[in-house]
Amino acid sequence: MDNNIVIKNVDKFYGNKQALYNIDLTIGKGMFGLLGRNGAGKTTLMKMLAALHQKKKGEITVCGIPIEKAGQIRAVTGYLPQDFSMYPSMRTDEALEYLGTLSGMKRDELRKRTTSLLARVNLTEHRHKKIKQLSGGMKRRLGIAQALIHDPKVLIVDEPTAGLDPEERIRFRNLLCEVAEDRIVILSTHIVGDIEATCEQIAIMDEGRILWRGTVSELVKNAEGHVYTVNVEKKFMPQIKKEYIVTGMLAQTEYATVRIVSDQEPDLPNAVLTEPDLEAAYMYCLHSSGCDVKGGEE
Amino acid sequence: MLFIKECKKLFRSVTFIIYSVLVVLMFWTQYWDVLDAPLNETACMSYEETKTSGDPELIMPAALDSLTGCYLSNSYICYPYGFFKSVHLNSSKSKKIQKYITELSGLSSDEIEALKDQNDKFYTSYGTTDYEEYNVKDVPLKKDVTYERFVEIMGDVNDILGGGSDYKPDALAYNFSQVKMTEEELKEQYNDFIEKDHISIAYGRLFSDYLGIDLAFVPVFVAAALITADRRGKMKELVYSRKVSSFKLVFTRFAALFATMMIPVLLCAALSAAKIMYMYSGSDPSFTGFFAVSGAWLIPNIAMTTAVGMLVSEIFSAGAAILVQFIFWFGSLMMSDAALYGNIGKFTFICRHNRLMYRADFMANYDNFVFNRVFYLILSLVMVLLTVFVYELKRGGRFNGIVLFGKGGIFRRKA
Repeated sequence: MDNNIVIKNVDKFYGNKQALYNIDLTIGKGMFGLLGRNGAGKTTLMKMLAALHQKKKGEITVCGIPIEKAGQIRAVTGYLPQDFSMYPSMRTDEALEYLGTLSGMKRDELRKRTTSLLARVNLTEHRHKKIKQLSGGMKRRLGIAQALIHDPKVLIVDEPTAGLDPEERIRFRNLLCEVAEDRIVILSTHIVGDIEATCEQIAIMDEGRILWRGTVSELVKNAEGHVYTVNVEKKFMPQIKKEYIVTGMLAQTEYATVRIVSDQEPDLPNAVLTEPDLEAAYMYCLHSSGCDVKGGEE
Repeated sequence: MLFIKECKKLFRSVTFIIYSVLVVLMFWTQYWDVLDAPLNETACMSYEETKTSGDPELIMPAALDSLTGCYLSNSYICYPYGFFKSVHLNSSKSKKIQKYITELSGLSSDEIEALKDQNDKFYTSYGTTDYEEYNVKDVPLKKDVTYERFVEIMGDVNDILGGGSDYKPDALAYNFSQVKMTEEELKEQYNDFIEKDHISIAYGRLFSDYLGIDLAFVPVFVAAALITADRRGKMKELVYSRKVSSFKLVFTRFAALFATMMIPVLLCAALSAAKIMYMYSGSDPSFTGFFAVSGAWLIPNIAMTTAVGMLVSEIFSAGAAILVQFIFWFGSLMMSDAALYGNIGKFTFICRHNRLMYRADFMANYDNFVFNRVFYLILSLVMVLLTVFVYELKRGGRFNGIVLFGKGGIFRRKA
């Protein structure tokens, strides 16, 4: 059986407005990051893969199943939406069992799976708590558990770390990496740090188009020669931000060390070519693709 | 397993608890007193019961007297679409009524006017206006007027008045031919109660009459709350992305709604049947008869109200479902209130029979009753199928529902 997700020439419209343009992607086992700004079309693509949206044109197969066979697609995919909750007065384990039942699981299998998944997402001691008593981080972990309850071949997670504190975010990323060992996990996010910590294969989306597709190291390599650090007096910062894409800034008393992205060597004294990090590489990718990048501009 | 989980969700919901309280309240306040003491033959024979005779010889003079009185005071009471309306005609329409009275009585316009002085006068207020009304009696009826022509005239009068009047042809018998039952008829009625209704069937009809009013509206709250729970709980996409088919999910939810909402009804019915068995222990009442009649009567009410709640909530919102069902309920109630017993039309959603006796009146409409209940049961299943269709569209992102009010609503107030 085919274990890839194959997306070929896919277009999507909302009424007259085109949301996706000619999307072409092949996604294999392991973690796959879909990076892009808000409104890039990531959620639309995620929902299409979960059979929750229709495409206008093109072909999508998930593990060899055409996307039109929604029932079969839903049987092999687990989906964690960006903004979700569960019935507030339901207990944690009950909520999992309810969603497992909707996935067609039998009672005994469901009970075992619920217990093991709650343990895996560190919620065993909270299994009898009501959903409304869980913190944001706990709800996200429960979200992963519900998406995995029927042991899907594909896990689709949309902006899962938004709003989480750093500790929860790290815990969540580790969890995703663990579950990606034996399935496809697609992580859609606008947070570069999440991708950097979890994914090797990535795609960058903007305004409904795939701008870049490859590995993280290839993306970083692509930006080599275009990222500089420069020490400038703080009073010149507004001008710097206006003229360059600023991806980082370390402010001192009078001076600031600024990391900028530029096609050419910047016309600034003390500008030093530096190794790009993923954030800078991402910004360079957007910039070189003709996107209106406002990194650092106030 | 899904059915049990949906039932559990319902048992915990506030709307289901409120529903149960309302059912029990209706049962307790309206019906329970009927079971205070058993009916016996002596008591039944002493009742001053009336029945609808339908005899044209009674209908025609009574209706003519009534019409003449209303004409003289130019004040008519109508219930178009079940709503009370005080009607006062302009001179041209009044003239048409006068012509009909002349045709039926042979009295000229002046002679009709003269009846004002020959009959009792009283005053009635509608709004801020006082109307002089006349209790007219013994208006002569021409001998050559056939009943067919009379009914035709009454139909025209009803149209002139805007409908819903006492002169509506199919209401003439009920309004103008009530006669006191004879001793034999009272005896026959009691015998029907014992022998044909096996006691409990008569009580079952009355039980259903009261609870039917509740169950034609209140279930919509429970259904709408369940259907919109996924949206309110931000759980919609978690449910949409599951393997379960839309058909299985929607029908399981319908079945769960139906089953849970039947529980308080069955408990009330069981309590009632048990009391009947105890009260009439010497008369061998039927235990199952009570459940058979109330089941056949009330199941379509719950099914239909639930189906409306599910479908309209899925297309629009819970609020719209409640509004739609309220209009349907109120309209049906007003129409069926015109006659509280034996009033069962083919499409009357709320069937009424607010009497313990009068089996014959009920049986006169029995075919209508059977058609009516089967019709609403089938209609409810069709509506659930439509809900499956709408749910499947929404689930696949092909339809997002119709927003009526608020952000993006089609009736959004412009700033």
